[in-house]
Amino acid sequence: MEVSLSGPKVVVAKLKDSKVKRLGFSAPGFGHSGSNFVDLRRKCRVNWVGLKAIRAQVAVEKNNTPFSKEKVQSQTPVELLVGLPLDTVSKSNTINHEKAISAGLRALKLLGAYGVELPVFWAVVQPNSPHEFDWSAYLAVADMARCAGLRLRVSLNLNGCHRPNVMLPGWVLQAAETDPDILFKDKSGVLHKDCLSFAVDELPVLQGRKPVDVFESLFRSFSSTFKDYFGSTITEITVSLGANGELRYPSFPPTTDSEFTSVGEFQCYDKYTLSQLKQAAESAGNPLWGLGGPHDASKYDESPNNSNFFKDHGGSWNTPYGNFFLSWYSQQLQHHGDRLLSIASNVFGDLPVQLSAKVPLLHHWHEMSSRPAELTAGFYNSAERDGYDAVTEMFAKYNCMMIIPGMDELGSNPESLLHQIKQACEKHGVQVSGENSALVKQGTDNFGKIKENVQAGLKAFTYQRMGADFFSPEHWPLFREFVRGMERSQLDADDLPEGNGGGVSLSADSEARNNREMQAA
Amino acid sequence: MSIVRWKPLIHQLPLVRNPSLSLREQPKRYIRCCPKNPSLSSSAGFVLGSKPDSGRNLRPIVEAKAAQSPPLSQETDLISSEQFTVNRIKKTYGKVSVKLERRCGYEARWMLEVSCDLVGKWILHWGVSYCDNQAEWDQPPPEMIPPGSTVIKDYAIESPLNARSEGQSESAVQIEIDGDTPIGAINFVLKEEETGRWYHNKGRDFRVPLRGSSEDEITLSMKQSVSIWPEAFDQISNMLRKHEESDPAPAPILEDNSDTSSKKPIIAFHEDYTVIKEEPVQNSMTVTVRKSDKSSDKNIVDVDTDIPGHVVLHWGVYMNESKNWHVPPPPYPPATKVLRKSALQTLLEKKSLGLGNRGSFALNKEVKGLVFVLKLDEYTWVNNMGKDFVVPIENSTSGHEEKIEEKPGTVSSTDKSVDTGAAPYTENLISGIRNLVDDISSHKNKAQKTNEEQDNILHEIEKLVVEAYRIFKNSSVVEKPDKSVDDTSTTPTQLVVSSGTGNGHEILCQGFNWESHKSGRWYHELGEKAKLLAELGFSIVWLPPPTESVSPEGYMPTDLYNLNSKYGNIEELKDIVHKFREVGIKVLGDVVLNHRCATSCSENGIWNIFGGRLNWDARAIVADDPHFQGKGNKSSGDNFHAAPNIDHSQEFVRTDIKEWLCYLRKEVGYDGWRLDFVRGFWGGYVKDYLEASQPYFAVGEYWDSLSYTYGEMDYNQNAHRQRIIDWINATNGTAGAFDVTTKGILHSVLERCEYWRLSDEKAKPPGVLGWWPSRAVTFIENHDTGSTQGHWRFPAGKEMQGYAYILTHPGTPSVFFDHVFCFQEEIRRLISLRLRKKIHCRSTVKILKAEKDVYAAEIDGKVAMKIGPGFYEPERGPKNWTVAAEGADYKVWEAS
Repeated sequence: MEVSLSGPKVVVAKLKDSKVKRLGFSAPGFGHSGSNFVDLRRKCRVNWVGLKAIRAQVAVEKNNTPFSKEKVQSQTPVELLVGLPLDTVSKSNTINHEKAISAGLRALKLLGAYGVELPVFWAVVQPNSPHEFDWSAYLAVADMARCAGLRLRVSLNLNGCHRPNVMLPGWVLQAAETDPDILFKDKSGVLHKDCLSFAVDELPVLQGRKPVDVFESLFRSFSSTFKDYFGSTITEITVSLGANGELRYPSFPPTTDSEFTSVGEFQCYDKYTLSQLKQAAESAGNPLWGLGGPHDASKYDESPNNSNFFKDHGGSWNTPYGNFFLSWYSQQLQHHGDRLLSIASNVFGDLPVQLSAKVPLLHHWHEMSSRPAELTAGFYNSAERDGYDAVTEMFAKYNCMMIIPGMDELGSNPESLLHQIKQACEKHGVQVSGENSALVKQGTDNFGKIKENVQAGLKAFTYQRMGADFFSPEHWPLFREFVRGMERSQLDADDLPEGNGGGVSLSADSEARNNREMQAA
Repeated sequence: MSIVRWKPLIHQLPLVRNPSLSLREQPKRYIRCCPKNPSLSSSAGFVLGSKPDSGRNLRPIVEAKAAQSPPLSQETDLISSEQFTVNRIKKTYGKVSVKLERRCGYEARWMLEVSCDLVGKWILHWGVSYCDNQAEWDQPPPEMIPPGSTVIKDYAIESPLNARSEGQSESAVQIEIDGDTPIGAINFVLKEEETGRWYHNKGRDFRVPLRGSSEDEITLSMKQSVSIWPEAFDQISNMLRKHEESDPAPAPILEDNSDTSSKKPIIAFHEDYTVIKEEPVQNSMTVTVRKSDKSSDKNIVDVDTDIPGHVVLHWGVYMNESKNWHVPPPPYPPATKVLRKSALQTLLEKKSLGLGNRGSFALNKEVKGLVFVLKLDEYTWVNNMGKDFVVPIENSTSGHEEKIEEKPGTVSSTDKSVDTGAAPYTENLISGIRNLVDDISSHKNKAQKTNEEQDNILHEIEKLVVEAYRIFKNSSVVEKPDKSVDDTSTTPTQLVVSSGTGNGHEILCQGFNWESHKSGRWYHELGEKAKLLAELGFSIVWLPPPTESVSPEGYMPTDLYNLNSKYGNIEELKDIVHKFREVGIKVLGDVVLNHRCATSCSENGIWNIFGGRLNWDARAIVADDPHFQGKGNKSSGDNFHAAPNIDHSQEFVRTDIKEWLCYLRKEVGYDGWRLDFVRGFWGGYVKDYLEASQPYFAVGEYWDSLSYTYGEMDYNQNAHRQRIIDWINATNGTAGAFDVTTKGILHSVLERCEYWRLSDEKAKPPGVLGWWPSRAVTFIENHDTGSTQGHWRFPAGKEMQGYAYILTHPGTPSVFFDHVFCFQEEIRRLISLRLRKKIHCRSTVKILKAEKDVYAAEIDGKVAMKIGPGFYEPERGPKNWTVAAEGADYKVWEAS
């Protein structure tokens, strides 16, 4: 860029850098008008009183562009959180390993963490009936976090989880015994006991109540129980929008969970979903399309290359039928997400907390044109179609932050998918925060990846998750170095002209210094 | 720079405080500012005017006065005025330039110039190396030494850098070099004379290779070095940082060298470094609230500070006692942004000449106070010792004069004199320099404290992590999905076995003294006492070093695999281990890993060839021990000078040692280790060894001096115990360490009758056992300190007070062999009480009395004890205390 400033040489250099590092103009897919730059140049010349002035001007410029959100993000330090163990609260509503967690919280606080993520399970809060709530153990954990001076991101999981073996509440499963079709069912008729079918959201299947109403009362109960914590301790509420706490179908086999890396299967074989599919097919004027999911899709573990449906060339995904089914299937997911986010934003909207929800990073098989793993999970994404645009728009509608896991995944697939999702977020002004998929124990490559991703403009990053492995001598030093490395990178970033472009810092309150006291081990 | 980064608190939870007291109690507030951004700009005026603290009481006040003196008519309307002291870190940029070039007009004369453009008295501390090993320091030939230099012993020269011209900050020193000189390189470090700070190149020397370098990477590493850290003890983080954008240093240019003969020609060299000098600076900030003369329902707030550069006031107001941040209704002062509906950010207006910033705005009368923090740049926030600045606004006009007087220190006599006529800067500067020397020491202390604090924080983090790991690991083994797993966390000590603690209830006996080798059959003799020791309640016995040794006591080992010693042969050793095992006592082997005696001379007559199965040579010896010509790396710890120190950084050495330890575990049957002289090498290696050999228990001897002032022991021995804890930390908690701190303090306590020493500033035990009890192995005597050596003998006749202390307190107590028999019955009673009451290494201590002549404490609420001639009796209360043991100046009770 040939900016001609009358100022010293170095300023030109700084501006050059700033083009990429600060403005994010380098993001592909976004054209920017040249006039921005002309403008910028002019203003710089006119108002030159120092670098800060340029910064201010740049900020002004940026506000006219769709990147305004990012500017806000890059000004505040990235918040680092650590996930609490999934079994922090046991099924019998007591705190597991309380002493360890309390020591862990203190250590994290001293290390400079911003907060922790607390996974809340439906089955723990409402073990017996849709009318009773037991938040006692979660309240105690929130208290621990408050005492430790850490913020809390609470994840409200409306699904089950295989590890630790927390399923749906007993009374929900009882309802499912009389009517198994309220749960997701795969092609071979196996039930997913960790997730209610999206098709029953608005049907009175739970002791005469609609799941959406049950969720709403759960949210309200949470909101009133924790009212003293919002803003000060609880700063974020994450709502689970599907299986695994993510916006997705449980396309993985019913006995496994997120570590499944194959394509998976479409989940549309419970009678409620089937009937909705039938309706949709009929109104599309092709009743035959409504008899079931694609017959030629592969089995859970089969290679999609061998399946007629997913194969790259001439696969039936790329036919009118394929288009019909996949559109319908992905819309079902979106509608479900929309319903839940609407309830959540209705209940939590006035609280001083950030609403967030998680989308999966289904990068396996992303290299195929049909993106089979994404299709089965409910994202109609393909080489030609952006399956994340509408989803992101929905997030934007409810001012919901998007949490993307897999920030530690190496390789081109995760990278390109992540890029795609982030682009959609930029387009719609949705804030992004990240998570890792697995505890990083092997060396620094993955931590390097996390760092890279975090520096690319995340609002927050949650490291998953605390436990014996997390504190083990094999892992802890790596994590500690990662955190400290982030601080160093901040120093390096300071040497850049802009200072906040690549700067990452972790938030910690300085009061820790005052409260610090040597403790006996 | 600091390792842990502290983000300043922008919004604090409301502080519950009586607002009416606030002015009275907190007249002066110190604000610590965490610099994150070296790019904090300092204007020229600032650099001139504020040498550290030069203007502390002078110039800032000039500004403050200027702002505080509104027209007289309004003076009476002054509601409040408060001055805060702002401590922040100022960074000054400078350049150190190293230039080696041919002297003009001379073919064979070269000139090395080191210059620095930062204000200060810089000293070049340098030496030359003649040989290929460019790390050497030697004296240069006398003709090279610049005038005014001082010769430091036989290896260095200190040459001052002289100002280039009068009044100019840049100073330089030139060294003339003969083109034919045999010198290979010049090494140097820089020192600032006034502060005594050293500037190294990442802990190494700067090196100017005269003829390029045979090892290219040396030059390379120099070019790439990004930061040069001052020495570790140097608290104030000055750093030299190679500027990212500095002009690329010209690659060494090969000069034409037709005149030089066999030698490689001298090569020109030019390297620039950017220096960032960080100095603590005090600025002040005055907030004045006065009634508005225009509108009766408004107050005017004037903010005035001498902080240069951009200052953004990040502020809000509060309407009630809760001090929650609120945004006042508009209008806002110019250059104000509203942030997230909870705060305003106002860019303060610059005062002329870069003297600081000020701002002024109107607030409604309803406002009860102003809360704010300062933002200096994106990453630098200033708050009031971790809290918001709070300026309460009271609307009654009465008593405002009183309030002004309540601000001691802000209006000092100097102010007034300066007040009358603005003193020129130079005057301020001079007096500033005068004050500098006084201030430096206080800053040193402050900053040292900060560093200590940070170290402490890091150590605490590691301790917490170890604890969390232990409990997590433990509870994930005991899987009770439907039941609370709390039982594991409430009594974790019952279940955890770690090599740092054993089972947590261990009691150690040192099974020998300095004379034990004399009979030649010690194993046999001690074996006969195994039953007695078991019956007394010991769970671990520590045996003498088992290997062949130059000295009969075993601490100068030669062939590590030869287990025939003056204490007995290998069969007798196995036998005694077996005997102890039979009575349920674990056995520690005394392993000497720091040094090893050679068995033969190398060609040049140095004893550095080892014999036996581990036939190491000079490569296994640390390089910095001049007596043994080691070829290994530099020692990772202190040197033990009587024998070659082993270089544990060598992979083959570690492999051999691990193998040896495993052999001892398997062949002899040792359960764990007592590690001799672990000060000599890095604790991380010990961790390796322990992980490889998986001992049941391990304890290291980290013995160094406590702190004394004029022969009297200091009360605060935190630095001493911290060093021990550092070592334990380095082992990752896999080993405990002898609590030398506690022994040392007990000496003073008992010798001088100063029992108050037994409670530290936080009312905890002052030794290692106060900080990390589970890793503290407490003792009062061993074969070195007592026995027939008596290097540091425990006060005679007071041993039982010592044992009454360590056997009732947390930590793992160790009883010296001689004492087991001198004080058998008394010790028996104390041990049996400890076991009966299940006092363990993590028990909690509540100190009840720590006075001149008596110390009393309650342990786990189950045992009470006192030592010293003074009086103490446990309170008659809900607990029924009965006397469990009693002796000269000690008494122990148990709750029943």
